[in-house]
Amino acid sequence: MAATELLPLWVLVPLLAAALAACLPARRAGQLALAVQLAALASWPLLAAAFADRGPLTVSLAGLAPPLAIRLYLDGIGLLLLGLVATVTTAASLHALATPGRAALRPAFWPAWLVLLAGLHTVVLSFDLFNMYVGLELLTLAAVALVASAGTVAALAAAMRYLLLAMLGSLAWLAGVAMIHAGTGSLDLELAGAALAPGGWVSVALALMLAGLLLKAAVFPLHGWLPLAHGAAPGAVSAVLSALVVKAALLLVWRVQLWLGPAGGADAAGPLLAALGGAAILWGSLSAYRQDRLKQVVAFSTVAQLGYLLLVLAMPSAVAWQGTTLHLLAHGLAKAAMFLAAANLVRRAGDPRLAALAGSDAAAPVSVFAFALAGVSLVGLPPSGGFLAKWLLLQGAWQAGAWWLVALLLAGSLLAAAYLFRTLAALLAHRDGAGQARAGLPVPRIAELAALALALGAIVLGFAAAPILDLAALPAGPGGAP
Amino acid sequence: MMLLAFDLLLAAGLLGLAVLVVAGPTLFVSLVAYTVFGLLMAVAWARLGAPDLALAEAAIGAGLTGAMLMLSYRRLLAIRPERTGQRLVRRSRLALPIALACTVLSAGLFMALAGLPEPQRSAGGDALAATAQSEVGNPVTAVLLLFRGYDTLLELLVLLVAWLGVAMVQAQARPSAPRPPAPVPLLDALLAAVVPGTVLVGGYLLHAGGQAPGGAFQAGAVLAAAGVLMALAGRLQPRARATPVQAGLLVLGLLVFTAAGLWPLAAGQPLLALDGLATVYAVEAAMTVSIALGLCLLFLGAAGLGSK
Amino acid sequence: MAAQDLVWLGVAAGLVGLGVYGVLVAGHLLRKLLALNLLGTAVFLLMVVLGRRGAATPDPVSQAMVLTGIVVAVSATAFGLALMLALYRRSGEAALDDEAGAPDGDGRD
Repeated sequence: MAATELLPLWVLVPLLAAALAACLPARRAGQLALAVQLAALASWPLLAAAFADRGPLTVSLAGLAPPLAIRLYLDGIGLLLLGLVATVTTAASLHALATPGRAALRPAFWPAWLVLLAGLHTVVLSFDLFNMYVGLELLTLAAVALVASAGTVAALAAAMRYLLLAMLGSLAWLAGVAMIHAGTGSLDLELAGAALAPGGWVSVALALMLAGLLLKAAVFPLHGWLPLAHGAAPGAVSAVLSALVVKAALLLVWRVQLWLGPAGGADAAGPLLAALGGAAILWGSLSAYRQDRLKQVVAFSTVAQLGYLLLVLAMPSAVAWQGTTLHLLAHGLAKAAMFLAAANLVRRAGDPRLAALAGSDAAAPVSVFAFALAGVSLVGLPPSGGFLAKWLLLQGAWQAGAWWLVALLLAGSLLAAAYLFRTLAALLAHRDGAGQARAGLPVPRIAELAALALALGAIVLGFAAAPILDLAALPAGPGGAP
Repeated sequence: MMLLAFDLLLAAGLLGLAVLVVAGPTLFVSLVAYTVFGLLMAVAWARLGAPDLALAEAAIGAGLTGAMLMLSYRRLLAIRPERTGQRLVRRSRLALPIALACTVLSAGLFMALAGLPEPQRSAGGDALAATAQSEVGNPVTAVLLLFRGYDTLLELLVLLVAWLGVAMVQAQARPSAPRPPAPVPLLDALLAAVVPGTVLVGGYLLHAGGQAPGGAFQAGAVLAAAGVLMALAGRLQPRARATPVQAGLLVLGLLVFTAAGLWPLAAGQPLLALDGLATVYAVEAAMTVSIALGLCLLFLGAAGLGSK
Repeated sequence: MAAQDLVWLGVAAGLVGLGVYGVLVAGHLLRKLLALNLLGTAVFLLMVVLGRRGAATPDPVSQAMVLTGIVVAVSATAFGLALMLALYRRSGEAALDDEAGAPDGDGRD
C-alpha cells in the first residue's frame, strides 16, 4: 500500500511546506526547503523499490474512479525525473543558502522555490489534462517570481516577457484540453486517448496543446524568452529553470504524443517536432558561440540541448528512448552544474563578460573544473552520461535509417565542442596587466562543491547507466511499444 | 427566435468591444471597453445557464480585474506624470501578417469546434450522478471539493504564488508611499452601509454554495471587494510586508484543505476523500478567508497601493 | 448543434483570434495583459458552451474548471500588473524591446 497510496504526498508535502514557509523568516524558510528536498532525496529509493516491484503505478484520488477522479501516474521516466528534481534542487538550494545575496533573502524567495518544487512534482506525476494545466501555471508563476528575485531591470523585463508568453502557452494548452474534454468526455490521459477517433478537430486540439507546450519549453523558434530569463535569474534559479522546468513541459509533449497522438496525426507531427528540435540544436549552438557573457552562453546552450529531446519523436525505438532519457538526466545535471559554476565565476570576478573572466582558473579552480567536467558531458565526450546518451541516440538514428539525424547529432556535438572550448579558453586565458582588480566577492566553498557534485554526477551517469537504461526501456505510452 | 436575436446582439457587442480592447486608439479606451466587456460577459454566462460563473465573472472578471487594470493605469501615469500626454500605442510592422494568421486561427478553430462529437459517457455526467448520491446539492461545489479537490487545492497554491510574486517585485520597487486619501464623510457613510452588506452577501454565498449557486470562490471575491473598497477609502492601510496574521490567514485554506485531505489516510481511507458535509463547510470557510485576503492583497499590489 | 451554441462558439473562436493578435501586436504591456484576459475569457466561454450541448444540465466539470481558470487568470494578471509597475518605475519603459540580449545586469545575486 505504501508507495501507491503515498504518491500524492510528493505534491502535498512541498505544498504544505510552501504554505509554512510563507509565514517564516527567509533563513528558516530556506532551511525548511532544504529539509523537504533532503526528505525527497531520502524517500526516492523507496519509491524506486516499489516501482521495481510493481511497474508503472496509477493512483486514483479521493477514492473515485476515472473519468470523475484525477489520477496520478508514475512511469520510468517520471521516476527518474523525480530523482533528478530531488538532486538538482538540493544542490541548487545549498548553493543559494551558502551564497550571500539579496535574492535568497527576500521573504518570498523560498516559499516560491517550494511552490516550484510542488509544481514540478505535480506535472511529472499528473495523468489528468486539466491538472497538468494547474501544475504548469504553478511552475510558471513560481519560475517568473524567482527570475524577478534577481532584482535587476533586466531580470524584471525578462520575467515580464516570460510571464506573458507562458500565459499565452497555458491558454493554448487549456483550449486544446477543453476540446479533448468535450469530445471524449474525459480529462484522463488514458481514457481520453482510448475514446479519440481520428478527425480534423483532434488535430486542431493537439496542435493547440503542443503549441502551448513548445512555447513553455522554449523550443525553436519559440525560444526567445529563455536566454533572457535564464541569463538574468540568480544562479541557483537559472540552474533549476534550465535543468528542470523546461523539461517538465517537454515531458508533457511526449505524454501527449504517446497517449493522444495516435488519433491526431502523431505520425506526421513526430518528424515535424524532431525537425524543430534539429533547428534548435543548430541555431542554439551557433547563438551560444556568439555570446559575450558567460551565463548567456550557458542559456543558449540550453536552447540547443533541448532540441535533442525532440529527435526521438522521429525515430521511436527503445534504444532512442533510452538515449533520450539518459540525455534528459545528463543534461539536467551538467547544465545545473554549469549555471552554478558560472554564477560562482561571475561572483568571483565581479563582471559577467567572458573577456573579464580570464584567469578564473587561478581565482576559482574548483568552479572552473566543475564547468569543464559538465562541458565534457554536454559535448558528449567519453566517459560521461552525455556520451552514452548521444551514442544511444546515434544508434537509434542509424537503425531507423534516418541519416539526417545522424548528421545532425554529429554536427550538434561539434558545435557544442566549439562554443564550450571557446568559453573555456576565455576562462583559462592568461590574465594580463595589473590594475584589473575587480569588485569581486569570495565564493563560499559549499557553492563550489554543489557545482562540482552535479558535474561529477553527469560523468558518473556514464558508468552507472545500466539500471537507468532498464527503467527507460519500459513502455512510456499505451499499447506496449514506447 | 427572440432569444437568438438577443444572443446575436450580445455576441456582436462582445466582439466589437474586444476589437476596441486590442486595437483601441488609446489605452484608456481599451480599458473602458474591457470593463464593459466584463459586464456583458456576466450577462452572457447567465444566458448560457451558468449562474455560478455569472457570479464569479461579475465579481472577479468584471469587478476586481477591471478595477485593478484601471488603478494600475492611473499608477502608471502617476509614476511619470510628464508622460501623461504621450501616446502609448505602438504599431508593429508585423501587424498585418499576424492579423491574417489570427483570422485563419479563428476560422480553423470554429470549424473544429463545430465538428466536435458528443461523447456517450462523460465526466460531467458521472459528476451529476455522483452528486445526487452525496450530501452536497450543488454539482459544481461537489466537483470542486469532492471529486477534483486536488485541483482546487493546487489552485489555492496558485493564488499564494501569485501573491509571492507580487510581494517579490513590490519589495524592489521602493516607491514613495501613496498618501491615504483624506476622509470624505459621504464615502464613510457609504462604506458603513456597503461593507456589512458585502459581508452578509459573502456569508450567504458561502452557505448557499453547498446547495445552490455560490461557494467559496464567489464568497471570497465579494469579501475581497469589500476589503478593496475599504483600502481605497483609506480605511485599511496596505503594508509592504504581510503581517504574520495576514500570512497565516492567507495560507489557512491550504492548511485546512490539506489537513482534511490527509485525515482520511489515518482512518485507512483514500487521500483527499473529504468526509461529511461538516468537513466540506469547514474547508470552504477556510478557503473563503484565504481567497478573500489573497485577492485583496493581489489587488492592492497590482494597483500599486500595497507598497510603502 | 443548436444555432445558439454555434453563435457562442463563433464568439469564442473570434475572441481567441483577437486575443492572440493583441498579445503579439500590442506595444504596451497593459494592453498585452488585456488581450490575455480576452483570450482567457474566450477559452472559458468555449468550455462552457461545449459543456452544455444537448444536455439538460450543464456539465459541472466544465464549470468547475472555468471557476478554477478565472482565479488563475486574475492571479496571473495581478502578478503581471505588479511586474509592469515595478519595471516602469525602474526603467521608465512599459513596453518590451524586441532585441535579444540584456542591456544591463546579468543577474548576479
